[in-house]
Amino acid sequence: MARSDGGTNTVNKPFGLPRWVAAILPIALLALVIAGFFVATPFAGLQGSGAPLPDVTVTHHTIPNDDTIVLHVVNNGPEDVTISQVLVGDAYWNHQVMQGGEEVRTIGARESAQVVIPYHWNPGWDLETALVLNDGTTIHHTIVAPEQSPGVSGDVLWTLAIIGLFVGVIPVALGMLWFPFMQSMSDRALHAILAFSVGILVFLAFDAGFEAFEIAEQVPGAFEGQLLVVLGILGALLIVQAVTKWKSSGTGTPSGLWIAYMVALGIGLHNLAEGLAIGSAFAIGRVSLGAFLVVGFMLHNVTEGPAVVAPVTRGSRPSLGHFMAMGALAGIPVIFGGWIGSFAFSPTLGALFLAIGVGAILQVVWEIGGLISRNGQLGSSLNLLGFLAGLVVMYATDLLVVL
Amino acid sequence: MPSHDYKTAGAMTKTLEERLVGALKGESIDRRTVLGGLGLAGAAGIAGFSGGASADGDHGGGDSHHGNFGAVGEYSGNQFDPHEYLYQFNTGYDGQENVTQEVYMEGDQRIRRFELNAVDIEIEIAPGITFSAWSYNGQVPGPTLRVTEGDIIEVEFTNLGRHAHTIHPHVKNINPAMDGIPTNGPGVLDTGESYTYRWKAQPCGVQFYHCHSLPLKEHIHRGLYGVIIVDPDPERVRENPRDYINYDGPMTDDLVSQLVTKAESRNHEYDEGEDVNEMVMVMNGFDTNFDGDNEVYAANTRAFAYGVGDTDGKGNWEPGETKRPIQVDGQQLQRVYLVNAIEFDAINSFHTHSNFFDYYDHGTMLTPTLKTVDTVMQCQAQRGILEIDYSDHEPGLYMFHAHQSEFAELGWMSFFEVV
Repeated sequence: MARSDGGTNTVNKPFGLPRWVAAILPIALLALVIAGFFVATPFAGLQGSGAPLPDVTVTHHTIPNDDTIVLHVVNNGPEDVTISQVLVGDAYWNHQVMQGGEEVRTIGARESAQVVIPYHWNPGWDLETALVLNDGTTIHHTIVAPEQSPGVSGDVLWTLAIIGLFVGVIPVALGMLWFPFMQSMSDRALHAILAFSVGILVFLAFDAGFEAFEIAEQVPGAFEGQLLVVLGILGALLIVQAVTKWKSSGTGTPSGLWIAYMVALGIGLHNLAEGLAIGSAFAIGRVSLGAFLVVGFMLHNVTEGPAVVAPVTRGSRPSLGHFMAMGALAGIPVIFGGWIGSFAFSPTLGALFLAIGVGAILQVVWEIGGLISRNGQLGSSLNLLGFLAGLVVMYATDLLVVL
Repeated sequence: MPSHDYKTAGAMTKTLEERLVGALKGESIDRRTVLGGLGLAGAAGIAGFSGGASADGDHGGGDSHHGNFGAVGEYSGNQFDPHEYLYQFNTGYDGQENVTQEVYMEGDQRIRRFELNAVDIEIEIAPGITFSAWSYNGQVPGPTLRVTEGDIIEVEFTNLGRHAHTIHPHVKNINPAMDGIPTNGPGVLDTGESYTYRWKAQPCGVQFYHCHSLPLKEHIHRGLYGVIIVDPDPERVRENPRDYINYDGPMTDDLVSQLVTKAESRNHEYDEGEDVNEMVMVMNGFDTNFDGDNEVYAANTRAFAYGVGDTDGKGNWEPGETKRPIQVDGQQLQRVYLVNAIEFDAINSFHTHSNFFDYYDHGTMLTPTLKTVDTVMQCQAQRGILEIDYSDHEPGLYMFHAHQSEFAELGWMSFFEVV
């Protein structure tokens, strides 16, 4: 509100300055203060001689052949780090520190490198490795049950695509076949089914959320893994919500089809993370995805089908193309996740994808809640039981999939 | 250490390399046989340690890249040379430049006077790995003091370090004030303080000195220790032979003369000692990450310091500039004054390949405690004298190391090169 200041209008000309100057002034002053801080170093007296501690993470390892182990290393700290020696099984071992094809000893701040160790490992026998820095700091990394990494090949891509198809696309499509049956249901029963799918989604959110925080612990310190997960969850939630609001600004409420797409997207993001898990397990040589595991994933994911189509069971039936699109949106990301996971896995990426999935799912939960309460009573006993049933079914099928 | 001249070391390495190449020319089969017999820890042990980065691991007929154990690279710091340390004895008459020393008489009592300072330094314990050490006179282990039985060892100790330190001697000491512990005599010496310890050099043998400030583990493990060698006095041996032999039978003239000869051979003031190559080895270790477990093990501080510089694991090897075998004359008796200064591990050991030796526990007797053994065990502060004879061995590399294979692979692993 404009206030009079002895006849001068202070809104358009604060202190008599043009608006843009007033906007920039604080920033310019801040720059001055920061520059002054660097020049004057007012806290120099408080600083001891203690240099920052080296902060190095072994993000993961790959085992390209019988005689080589590669440790992937990130220097999180603000200072250079020198890897002076490497221990394998408590013995000094020869090695090379490679960065961009060149042999180095020192890794710059925030840079990554590979430590290539010629070592004839035994399949399944754990390996204790340690980097010894120039000041004697040791960075330990245990390779549990080493297996050769498959590397990049057409075979691997094809295998992962097949696995993705069976784990993601087929179960979701099968689940969507409940659509005609769901159309014939009463409102009460359908709401219970919707509540059931909310249960499934809430459970997935917890599942993926815990997983994200777990992976975040392996994220190199500089990237603040835990906060990255928080940002991913809230960011995805807010963006999907903003897009939904913008899309439905005409009618006020989002259409059923829109919600169904959102559900498919949320589930798809979750499945992308699922694919990442499969792919990265592949990448580090943990290729134990037997038939049983695939069956487990199928059962688990088949419940995601009805969750996708439940919002469109009233009103006119969407065209078959929509169904296929929604199925693809929910299922195909498993394949992409598998590829990304096997060739470009990093804990940072893994945690972020999982977090985005959680955010998207939470937004969808909110929408379905709104859908039910517009047409009926959200908190009816049947709905609550349906919700609980969703949680229980997910828990039960999750038992089959312990990766 | 001022006495370290890297030019000398470099020249020595070069000479060594040339002589070695000369010695080994046309004898590649023998060489391989020798190395092949060294097998510690299976194939990896045979491979020996190597310069790592330069070892491409292409061995075994090119069918595999198994890699070699051993520290990668060479030492860069020139503060300390473990090869020089082997032969540095400070007698008061003669010794290192960084140890102020003299010999003087008080009546008919001979005093050997040394000045030791505690200083904090950075030392290189494996190629590229430094350790913040507390040291006597800027080296770990501290200077070796060598005296004759019956002398007074006078040590003027000045603490220039950041923490309070002492010197506690492992000699028979009748004055509690000279024991170098916090509760007796001057107690611990704070930064800037000095005190002059006086210890009678008795009994003969290889003795030990170290800081006894608390926390004890840390003050020792950080590097405040060294060796005192008390040479037997042949005259005293002649008069009191029973003090030098663990034996109750008749003391014949023959036996006495044997003991006197042995005493002369161990006394630096007699010419008889010149037939013997005498070396000091202190087994030590360093906990670089403060987890109560050593990351580096060594004899004389530097991991793999007496190893070969580079090897392909097939008997083809080169000495490094800073990692090279101890070259010895096969016709000389090898005498090792061995002290275990390890911390955090209950025991340490010394094992020779392809040879057996006589062992004198603490060196206080002139007859062996153990005859003809190839491995001895020492607990912390235990020490002894080893006499090793390579006179009937072919020239070449003979490994020696701690026979705790973990210690060996973490640095306490070395070679004699018999020429």
